[in-house]
Amino acid sequence: MGMTPRMVGVGMAIIASATAWSVLFLPGLTAPIRPSAIARRLTPLEARGRILYIRNGCIGCHTQYVRPSDWGLSALRVSQPGDYVYDQPHLLGSERTGPDLSQEGGQHTNDWHWAHFRDPRLTRPASIMPRFRFLSRPRMRALIAYVQSLGGKMADARMARQNDWHRRLLAAWRRGEDANADFLYRRVPAPWRVLPNPYPATQAALARGRFVYEQECINCHGPLGDGNGPAARYLLPRPFNFTLLKRHPWSGGLLYYQIMNGITGSAMPYFKQDLESAKIWDVSNYIAVEFIGKNIDSGETGSGIPAAREPAPPPRP
Amino acid sequence: MPRFRFIDASPGSTARRFILSGAGWFLAATLIGLLAAVELVAPDLVQSRYFLFPRIRPSHVNTNVFGFLSMMLIGAMLWAVSRLAQAPLWSEKLGNCTLWLWNAAVFAGMVSLPMGYTQSHEYGEYVWPIDVLIVAALALLALNIFKTLERRRERLLYVTNWYAIGAVVATLAVYFLGNVMWHPLTGALHGMNDAEWAWFYGHNIFGVWITPLALGLCYFWLPREADQPLYSHTLSLLGFWPYFAFYMQVGAHHLLEAPAPGWLKLIAEINSVGLLIPVYAFLANQWLTLRGRWWKIPGSVTLKFIFAGTVMYFFVSTQGALMALPSEQRLLHFTNWTVGHAHLGLLGFAGFIACGAGYGVLREMYGEFWSSRLAHLQYWFMLIGIAGFTFVLSYAGLVQGSAWRNGETVYRVLPELVVPYLARAILGTFIISGAAIQFYNFLRTIYGRAPVRMPWLAPEAGSLDAVAGG
Repeated sequence: MGMTPRMVGVGMAIIASATAWSVLFLPGLTAPIRPSAIARRLTPLEARGRILYIRNGCIGCHTQYVRPSDWGLSALRVSQPGDYVYDQPHLLGSERTGPDLSQEGGQHTNDWHWAHFRDPRLTRPASIMPRFRFLSRPRMRALIAYVQSLGGKMADARMARQNDWHRRLLAAWRRGEDANADFLYRRVPAPWRVLPNPYPATQAALARGRFVYEQECINCHGPLGDGNGPAARYLLPRPFNFTLLKRHPWSGGLLYYQIMNGITGSAMPYFKQDLESAKIWDVSNYIAVEFIGKNIDSGETGSGIPAAREPAPPPRP
Repeated sequence: MPRFRFIDASPGSTARRFILSGAGWFLAATLIGLLAAVELVAPDLVQSRYFLFPRIRPSHVNTNVFGFLSMMLIGAMLWAVSRLAQAPLWSEKLGNCTLWLWNAAVFAGMVSLPMGYTQSHEYGEYVWPIDVLIVAALALLALNIFKTLERRRERLLYVTNWYAIGAVVATLAVYFLGNVMWHPLTGALHGMNDAEWAWFYGHNIFGVWITPLALGLCYFWLPREADQPLYSHTLSLLGFWPYFAFYMQVGAHHLLEAPAPGWLKLIAEINSVGLLIPVYAFLANQWLTLRGRWWKIPGSVTLKFIFAGTVMYFFVSTQGALMALPSEQRLLHFTNWTVGHAHLGLLGFAGFIACGAGYGVLREMYGEFWSSRLAHLQYWFMLIGIAGFTFVLSYAGLVQGSAWRNGETVYRVLPELVVPYLARAILGTFIISGAAIQFYNFLRTIYGRAPVRMPWLAPEAGSLDAVAGG
């Protein structure tokens, strides 16, 4: 049987309709999707932000789903179909030039996002995201509101916590820098406040610490460690001035704890995903020696002895 | 030089203008691509919102897909269809209207995407009015092809024609459904369902549009240039029907790790691997047609481009089938590996065949093109460009994938990508040089040479013997 135009056309129509039935209509008919436990509708402000997210092509670099194999900042929960019921269009994305954003809401404070959108290099020096400083203030607010909604009700819980701490931190910061330092000190669990840095502050360790500091910290805390980096003017409370610790109690463990967990309610993010523990200890040593002017590592050179088990050194003034 | 007419009724004008437009869009789209590639290395280079990476990336993609590839392949395909029918195109005027509609759509898309008018579905970013233009143009194209074939003097319907018909019919359906055109404002459904529809469209714009046109043109040009009949017409049947049947179901392999239904993913995986049957049937047919004639490849620009296109088709299809497997996706999904795959498929396979076919048509129309040497030079520029692209992007993908699997954050891996990103931008200049050479060569050929007489184009031509075999 020879092929004719009619035969090819009809054959193609049959294939197209059979396929459309099986892969387009059937999924919707067989698996009606109900909202998941974390799904919620966007507020009008967030919905406006979502439109800005679409129009600026954010989907080209950021995904919005967590796979079972994922690690990283957003990998708190593997995505479920019910997370997306209110999305139109979907914004799953296909490329991770930047991080996944499906649980981005509440990971950072609004002022961090403000600085980040003005110039991503301020908060993330190695970032290759373009600057979105052309967005007007209301648009910036809408976009940030949308980003803070990512993660649905989980994001809401994180945001509530951020906002609560933000109020308290702001109050402490307004009471003056010494009161602020005391407040931050008291927030850290007691064992960490007396824990010496288990890594000796050797020349090599300080060089590594400096490298990490320049990659992650310098734009907020500044080259002098006084909290006057270029991003500082966007942030409230302002980045911490390490030189203050010359007249306050501190320890390597205290610095480690704050870097690892971040300071909820402020722009200080947590680094436990981005930095391995050795790197956090190294940068703690660097901050201590370079900005506070003291070396209170545990003095150990060998390995195998956990410094935390040794009798705590007396707190130094 | 004859006066320029918007609607030119002279024989061959539609094919010629489609091919020339495609060459022009190729240059425009690759220039946009270069800017985007440079911005990945120097993100602060451009301040204007209209030239930021996330806004011009879809412009680069869509201008290449709908401008360069679609137009060049349509032009060459209209030529092939009318040549095989041994009859002129049914209506050159209608063809010219289609051409301007299509150009309007591509131009509107290229400008409107950086302005932020987007529907946000990959490859389906065009907003509704542009979708309407494309669908209208497709419908006119289908009409022209069917009417031309109705008046064909050669009764046997050669395989190239099957692909032409298959492509326009299936694409009309896929474009309308996939862009959810009954929702003009969003062009989208809700939630995961929207993702499933979007990727049905996203993959099929290659599966039933770009690739079939390119395959059909291989069937047309490769035997002619090798001066040897097609190896097997039975094999071409095996390459045709299973191709469409398998291909249209693979969209969900873009969602293997997203929360889509498991059975849908399974369908996509099975069909993605099954697709290798028609792909290898096609390739065997092409390469066996070349048996004993391999020495012809270096001498003919058309054969060079098209043969290289089939080789890259082999690699990109085999790679694609493997990439649809979950074990490989765990490592390579979301990385630049996929970007390399897309460039190898669209530029390496379809782009090379479009260029080869474009040169072939112009040589038939004008006897010879302006500079054969430049055309060969373009081939090498593009080959170095695409081979290098695939290499550095695959390398970047492996770096990203293995680092992420090891628990590194996306941010931490960015510094590792500076060198591949830089290499990619540099290699892009090779591709742009190729595009520029081609556009120039086409312009000089079309506006510098007198067309040869083509008796078979005359509507009243009686005997076919005079043109057979040409």
